[in-house]
Amino acid sequence: MRIQTKERNGVIVLVFQGKLMGGPDADYFRDVVHKLIEQGKRRVVADLSGVNWINSTGVGILITGYTTLRKNGGDLKLLRVSTKIRSILYVTKLNLIFECFENEDEAVASFEGD
Amino acid sequence: MRDIMAESVIIEFPSDYKYLNMIDMVCGEFINDMDFDHEAANEVSISIIEACTNALEHGNKCCPEESVRVCLTKHPDRLVIEVFDHGEGFDFKYYLKHIPDPSDIHKLRGRGIFIMKHMMDSLYFDMVPERGIKVTLEKMIRKQSGEVA
Repeated sequence: MRIQTKERNGVIVLVFQGKLMGGPDADYFRDVVHKLIEQGKRRVVADLSGVNWINSTGVGILITGYTTLRKNGGDLKLLRVSTKIRSILYVTKLNLIFECFENEDEAVASFEGD
Repeated sequence: MRDIMAESVIIEFPSDYKYLNMIDMVCGEFINDMDFDHEAANEVSISIIEACTNALEHGNKCCPEESVRVCLTKHPDRLVIEVFDHGEGFDFKYYLKHIPDPSDIHKLRGRGIFIMKHMMDSLYFDMVPERGIKVTLEKMIRKQSGEVA
C-alpha cells in the first residue's frame, strides 16, 4: 500500500493506492496518522479510489486512524469508497461511523466550521 | 459422494498477503460463468479474502513456509470454497456463538468471521487431523426471484 498526502484548505487528503489488508499496512498508516497529529493536522480525508483490494483488517486500520484522530480532536472521513468497501462497512455497521463522500470538494468542505 | 457435475480448482500459496489478490482474481475467473449477480460475486470475493486472511494470519501465523490451500468447487446450484491452514486450531464452536460486535470501533481485528457468516449461505469449521483448520463456505445461486437455483 502507498499513501500520497496533499493538503487543501487545512484538510489533509490521503490518497491510498494498492491493497489495504493488514500486516505492514497497519504500522504504516498508524505512523502517517501520528505524524499528522504531531504536525497539528487532524482533519483528514482518506481517498480510497485507488484501493483495489481490502479485507476486514484493512477496514480495522481505517477505524484505528479514525479513533486516534477523534481522540485528538480531529476526524477521518472517507472519499470514493468502492462497492466492496461499502459492503464491508454496511455489514459491520461501520457505515454509521464513517462519513463517506463521492466528491473531494464536498469532503474537504465538510470540515468547514469544525 | 462427489457430484459428477462438480468442477474444482485447487490453489496452494505461501502465507503472505501479497497472494490474496491473486486468489481473488482466480476465484473471480472461476465463478465468471456461474449465475451470480454483481452483489453476490462481491460477497464471494470479500469472503474468500477473509477466509484466506484468517488462514495465513491466525492459522499459519504469517509463516511463509506454511501454505494455505484453497479448493473451489462449482456445483450446478452453488459454489463451495474450502480453505485449509496448518494452525493449531481454535474453539470455533464457542467463537461462532460469541462473535464479537463488528461495529466496536476499538477493535482492529475480529470482523472476518462475522462478515463471512453474513455474506455467505453457510460457514463451518472442521479440524483436519495432521493439517489444521478447514473452513468451508457455500454460496447458493439464486434466480432473479430470489429462489435457490
